[in-house]
Amino acid sequence: MRARVVVTLCVVVAVLLAGVPWIASPATIEFGINMLLLAALAQSWNIIGGYTGYPSFGNSVFYGLGSYGTAVAMLSWQLPFGVGLVVGAVIAVVFALLLGRAVLRLRGHYFAICTLGVAEVMTAIVSNLEITGRNQGLVLPLLKGNVLFYELSLALVVVATLVVWWIARSRFGFGLVAIRENEEAAASMGVDTTRYKIFAFAISAAIGAVAGGIHAYWITFIDPVSAFDIGLNVKMIIMAVFGGPGSILGPVVGAFVLSAISEVLSSEISTVAGLFFGIVIVVAVVFMPRGIADLLRRFHTYRWRYFAANVRATRV
Amino acid sequence: MDAVLSVNGLSKRFSGLTAVAHVSFELGRGEILGLIGPNGAGKTTLVNLISGALEPSDGELVFEGRSIGGLPPFRRAHLGIGRTFQIMRPFPGLTVRDNVAVGALFGTGGGERDLAKARAIAHEKLDFVGLARVADRPADALGGPDRKRLELAKALAMNPRLLLLDEVMAGLNLSELEEVIAIIRKVRDGGVSVLVIEHVMKAIRSLSDRLLVLHHGEMIAEGTPEHVLEDPAVVEAYLGKRRE
Ligand SMILES: Nc1ncnc2c1ncn2[C@@H]1O[C@H](COP(=O)(O)OP(=O)(O)OP(=O)(O)O)[C@@H](O)[C@H]1O
Ligand SMILES: [Mg+2]
Repeated sequence: MRARVVVTLCVVVAVLLAGVPWIASPATIEFGINMLLLAALAQSWNIIGGYTGYPSFGNSVFYGLGSYGTAVAMLSWQLPFGVGLVVGAVIAVVFALLLGRAVLRLRGHYFAICTLGVAEVMTAIVSNLEITGRNQGLVLPLLKGNVLFYELSLALVVVATLVVWWIARSRFGFGLVAIRENEEAAASMGVDTTRYKIFAFAISAAIGAVAGGIHAYWITFIDPVSAFDIGLNVKMIIMAVFGGPGSILGPVVGAFVLSAISEVLSSEISTVAGLFFGIVIVVAVVFMPRGIADLLRRFHTYRWRYFAANVRATRV
Repeated sequence: MDAVLSVNGLSKRFSGLTAVAHVSFELGRGEILGLIGPNGAGKTTLVNLISGALEPSDGELVFEGRSIGGLPPFRRAHLGIGRTFQIMRPFPGLTVRDNVAVGALFGTGGGERDLAKARAIAHEKLDFVGLARVADRPADALGGPDRKRLELAKALAMNPRLLLLDEVMAGLNLSELEEVIAIIRKVRDGGVSVLVIEHVMKAIRSLSDRLLVLHHGEMIAEGTPEHVLEDPAVVEAYLGKRRE
């Protein structure tokens, strides 16, 4: 019953969001595209970080590979944009399969640090390849208007959320959560942990890459430093964790709320916006470390004690 | 005797320390084999070698006529080897039922494909070990004795043919002990072979068809409980290095 209400609400929100370009100003649509792409990225991180419990810093690499894959396909191989997106996604997935085999053996901080290193290496590699325009980057053909990009970004969020929804109620997702909760026990109970982790990484990569491809064609310019920016990976994590990692809607809600807060702050009080944003994050981590999703689930039973219990649990 | 598991010359060395030293034995179908020994004797290490959590330094493992050396733990689980952990490893964020459902979803033969069916099996197993009343609680809300039962239910949900129990009775009171003994007997009656590690002598004596004693990684005795527990070498191992 409650699930049906939530699904209906989601459909309504998606339809309303789809109509936004017809009434909103260009600036609002641009804000919307950024927000939607971040939501898709937070959702992609959710699969490997939230469900599988592997805190990846390699997701900005998938984004970067998607950006460059799409750009190179369009510029060097004269392929249409849609095919370019697929090319970018395939490159990222292949990369995730290879990288996953190597780094998903590591756990916790070791995994995080190792994926962080990969992002640095990719920036260096792309800065030195002829086909990617070295460190000058690439300029894509200009497509006027924002509506196509807005709708594509929205579609990506919807697809990513459907994928997570499927994971959450599948045997595959059960295996991922078991890995997150105790990998050794999961393996001894028959979960093929290596294969599951690599699959999760690959799905995450495909979504991240498409987001990168959409962004590249929209912005029409990419360079190695911004395409493989670790800061973007940090944003994905903050948004997913703020909304509720390992939940179906949390990362999307987190991305929407934090994008809105940061937009308001930067337009009202630009100089200290960053500081306020930081404060919002810290307060959220202290009072609701398991995100909005968990807050909504438990607030009605615990009421205000919910926050007190979290503060006590994190010993701040 | 038709052996389900044959262990041949199995050894495990940890940089200098030999935790399991050239151990050989067979476990028959539907047999309950007790494994005892003082602390640090190598019992858990032996279970880890059989389940695949550790690779042996030497020796051979044959399960149902097939060599399982080198197979990863999940493959051994698919073949029908289920285990519990002495240091319990629940999935804390999952409900008790879903903890057990993981066993049904991925256990012997690759497990059940259907989530609803897996949850139904889980419920059946929880009922069997007496945990049905807490099925919807998160696993980390359980107390010690219930956690032990949860470990047992998770392994049972895999529908194993060989069950490795590492101290599932530690810390239980007398009536709980009786219950778990009855549960293990019922499992065996269903055709499952059981290797059970236990420090509670009374329990192991009444439960085991046969006993195996490890000391400093070496097998120092094997035979019927009465016989083994009288063995001077066993008595000395325990008296010489008394626990608690
Ligand atoms: N991963 C490991 N690395 C190094 N040494 C280990 C490792 N695992 C076990 N050991 C050592 O191997 C020996 C046997 O340990 P094991 O846990 O198998 O004993 P046990 O018989 O299960 O003892 P207990 O009754 O206390 O559970 C011990 O000396 C232990 O310290
Ligand atoms: Mg032990």
